[in-house]
This record gives sequence, structure tokens and C-alpha cells, in this order.
Amino acid sequence: MRAYLSVFRMRWKMELQYRGAVVGGVICQMFFGLILIALYRALYAGKPQTMPLSSVTTYVWLQQAFFRMLFASDADLLDKIRTGNIVYDLCRPLQLYGYYYSRIMAQKLLGSLLRAAPMLIFAALLPEGWGICAPVSLPAFCAAVFGLFLGLLCMCALENVTMGFTMRTLDSRGMQAMLNLLMMILSGNILPLTLFPDGWQKVITALPYAQLLDAPIRLYTGERALSAAPAALLLQAAWTAAIVGLGLLLWRSNQKKMILQGG
Amino acid sequence: MRYITVENLAKTFTVRKKREKGRLLREKTEVQALRGVSFSIERGELVGCIGPNGAGKSTTVKILSGILTPDGGMADVGGLTPWKDRRKHVRRIGVVFGQRTQLWWDVPIADSFSLLKDIYRVPDADFRRRRDELTEALNLGDLLRTPLRLLSLGQRMRSELCGSLLHGPELLFLDEPTIGLDAVSKLALRDFLKRENEKSGTTVLLTTHDMEDIAALCPRVMVLGHGSKLYDGALPALLSRYDTQRVMTLRYDGDVDFPALPEDCQVSREGDAFRVVYDHERIPTAHIMSLLQSAGPIREWTAQPQNVDHLIAAMYREMDL
Repeated sequence: MRAYLSVFRMRWKMELQYRGAVVGGVICQMFFGLILIALYRALYAGKPQTMPLSSVTTYVWLQQAFFRMLFASDADLLDKIRTGNIVYDLCRPLQLYGYYYSRIMAQKLLGSLLRAAPMLIFAALLPEGWGICAPVSLPAFCAAVFGLFLGLLCMCALENVTMGFTMRTLDSRGMQAMLNLLMMILSGNILPLTLFPDGWQKVITALPYAQLLDAPIRLYTGERALSAAPAALLLQAAWTAAIVGLGLLLWRSNQKKMILQGG
Repeated sequence: MRYITVENLAKTFTVRKKREKGRLLREKTEVQALRGVSFSIERGELVGCIGPNGAGKSTTVKILSGILTPDGGMADVGGLTPWKDRRKHVRRIGVVFGQRTQLWWDVPIADSFSLLKDIYRVPDADFRRRRDELTEALNLGDLLRTPLRLLSLGQRMRSELCGSLLHGPELLFLDEPTIGLDAVSKLALRDFLKRENEKSGTTVLLTTHDMEDIAALCPRVMVLGHGSKLYDGALPALLSRYDTQRVMTLRYDGDVDFPALPEDCQVSREGDAFRVVYDHERIPTAHIMSLLQSAGPIREWTAQPQNVDHLIAAMYREMDL
């Protein structure tokens, strides 16, 4: 267990080296948040939707604040796979899936916390109709935080599946371009899932991408009632377990048939 | 005491090539990296492994360090099969891949060492003692708090070696550890390895292209080629088989007509110095000397065996590698 905590700390330290990137990321995400909200305001000015505008702005800010949790991959790790430096990790007395899971989690957790804190403060200072609203209730907030944590676990599992496939294809760019597009749409990053037609929502909210941020945000805004929280959290946990299982299988089969060329 | 036993190890890789024009499917070829290699190594032995590029040296190391699973054959390292008891096995070994890095690029090397400590579960006291010993011996003290990216190649290599030895492995695999190092660093590294072997009784398997490494460190050498073992024994005995040529360099006092030498001698001239390469078993040195002396007074003269790289090249040629 210590090794896994230790690699988490190391990746955390490494992430702290890139403080400039945090500032850049925050500014970029604030810009995106404001543009998206301006768009929805224009939409609402034309034709008000069933969902209140303040819920939409809250949704957008939370999505933007935790952007790094979704769209960040460990370039170092991908490079290791491509160049073969992974050879060193393969001769360690470790469970490789868990080792990389900790590493990925450190990056996603610290990366999003460092960015989320200033952004949420900024969003809270904006006037009503532009900024972020308080959670509907304290229990709902707690459920949302727990849901967010489950979302993080699920996201790390998804990322680790991508890593597993990268072991086979050696280059992750094609697959990531495709998966990121899917994720942008199905996680509610481009258009809040709450604005999709009801019929679509039934399907989309059952998919794994909706478990990452959409599920906790709905708990936060009260879109999903507290009484429905256990079911929502259970669905998140179930997807997480399934994707972890898939990743473990993939890594095990990789380790059996792997080839490392040269040197 | 026998420590490593390898029998009939075999491994085949599939290499896909870009398809030729006009063909629908890409071509697949099988490369037999290892075709039935057997050897055994005693505990505490220092063994060198040489062979041209693609001979199967690295594949052997990767199999013995539990990274690759072979297609056939067996291996036993201290009672364990590397690819079956992987985690138990790798706890006891250290590996240095000269062309790769195990330390973290952006963080100080001391932090990378702490991570290795946790990975191998080295107790605090042991870790501190071992780290101080190694940093002292490898002259790394001042560099511990420097990020890896700021180190020179030689400093990096020494740090890598330190990282691989922190957990006190019984067995050390070194895959081209002196690649790209300057003379001073090479000598220091060899010296260190020798002492480490003597002091801790670490068994070492060294693969390299640098014959000086082998000559300085390994009483025993194995030659691999085309995935098979071609020689296993002492280096001098191997070299003496190919050590048939002598290189003579000489300068005359003033201009002379260079004498005619037997046909097999290669003569070249550089300024006023002549270089004669001949086979000393076929043409006696005394015979050549008397011919050379008949042309005029010799001012300066040296004779040397061919250097080791030439001998190895001759050996690879003869073994058709």
C-alpha cells in the first residue's frame, strides 16, 4: 500500500511543479465559462426553458471548475509506454494497474483542486444569473461531494483503460481524440445534460460518462432529489467497479503478451 | 552454489512491415530472438554477455527480470521462475537499462529514491545507511536535491545505478551501463561495480558493447549471436583464438626504398610512418624485421596486437553474425 501512496505523493509533487499551467488553465476555463453562460442567457432570452437559468449557470461553472478531472492525461506516462521506459515499472514488485491508478488519481485530483478553488470563488462573486448558486441543502452538498469522489474514481478507471489500450497501439492520440469527443458530449461539458430532451437524458444519464460530473452536479443543484441520491451513487459505484474490472483484465492480458523492443 | 539456471530459452517476436505496393495485407515476419539458450551462473559471479546488435542479449535480460514471458524453455533464479513468481522474484533483483531512465524527470533524485524505498519496502534505517553508502561511493552527495533533468549524462547514469542498488539486490542486471560515458565516469563506474560485487557478493550479469567493460570486470564472458550461445568461458581464451594479427609501426632515418614484404602483409603509409599488419603465426616477426632492417636504419618501432574491437569484429565475422 505504501508504494501506491508514495507514487501518489510523487505525482502530486510533480503536478505542483507546473504552477504556471494552473494559472493558464484557470483563465482559460473562466473564459469558457463566461462564453457558455452568455450563450445560454441568449437562449433563455429567446425562449425560457423548464430548467431555471441559475441552475444552468451553476452546472456550467462546476463543469468548468472540474475540467481537469476529465480532460487531463498523464503525458509522462504515455511517453513511457511509447518509448519503452515502462520497462522499469514492469520489473517492480507492484501491481501495475494499482500503481498507475494512484498516479493518475494524483494528477486528476490535484490538477482539478488547484483550478477549482479559485474558479469557484470567482464564480461565487458573480451576480445572480451569471455565477454559481449555493447547494440546495447541506445533505445534498455532502451527497454531491461524495458523488464527485466516486466520479473521480470512475474517471481514473476510464483513463487506465485508455492506458491499457495505449500499451497495444503505442500511440494514444487517435483513441483519445475520439474518447474526448464522446466525453465532452456525454458528460455534459459542452451542453448540460439537463438541457437534452427528456428521452435522450434517460439513456445518457445511465452511461458511464454521466457518472463523472453530471450525477454529482444534479445532486448539488437539487435537480435530483436527495431521496434519489442513494440510487444515483449506487449507479456511479457500479460503473466504477465495472470499468476497474475491465481495466484489470486488459492489463493482465497486456502483461502476458507484451513485447518491448530494442535496447 | 548455482544461482541461475537457464535451459533452452526461446522467444519469437512478430515484426509487421509496411506492405509492399500492390499487396493487400501487410507482411508479418517472425524474428527468433532466442533459439534455445542455456547457461548457469554461480552466486556472486560477474558474467559479461556480448554479441552484435539483435543477438538476444536484452531479450535474455528482460526474460530473466520477469518482464517478458518466453515461448519455451525454463529458467530458475534462486529457486524462482522469473515470469511465474514475478513479484517475489523482482524484489530481489536490480536492473539498469543504460538507454532508459527509472528516475523522475521533474523532481529531485532524492524523491525518486524515496519512492523506490517504498516500492521495495526498505526499512528506514537500512535505506538511510544504504543511500549514504551509495551516494558516497558514486559521488552523488551534492546532487540529491537536483531534479534529474538538470544532471549530465554521467551524473544521471550514476544516479540510475544508485537507484537500482538501494534495496540491496542479490542479483544485478546491467544492460549497457556505460553507454555514452566519458573515460573518467566509466572507470569510476567499473571500479564501483567491482567493489560492490566483492563487498556484497552481488551476482552481476552485464551486457555491453564495450569490451573494456568486460575485460575490466568479468572473468567469464558469454557470446550470443542470432539467438544462440556461441561461446562461454574466459575472455583471454576467447580472444587468443582470434588474436593472430600484429600491427607494426615504424619510421626510418631519412628516405628509404620500402622493402618488398610477403604478399599477405598489409602496408600503409602515413607521413613518414609505415604501418604493417601481418599474421604472426604464418609469417614470423623476425622474418619481417630482417626485411625491414635491410632497407635502412630504423629510428622508431612498435608492435602491438590488434585492439579488442577488431578481434571481436573478426570473431563475429567468423561466426557469421
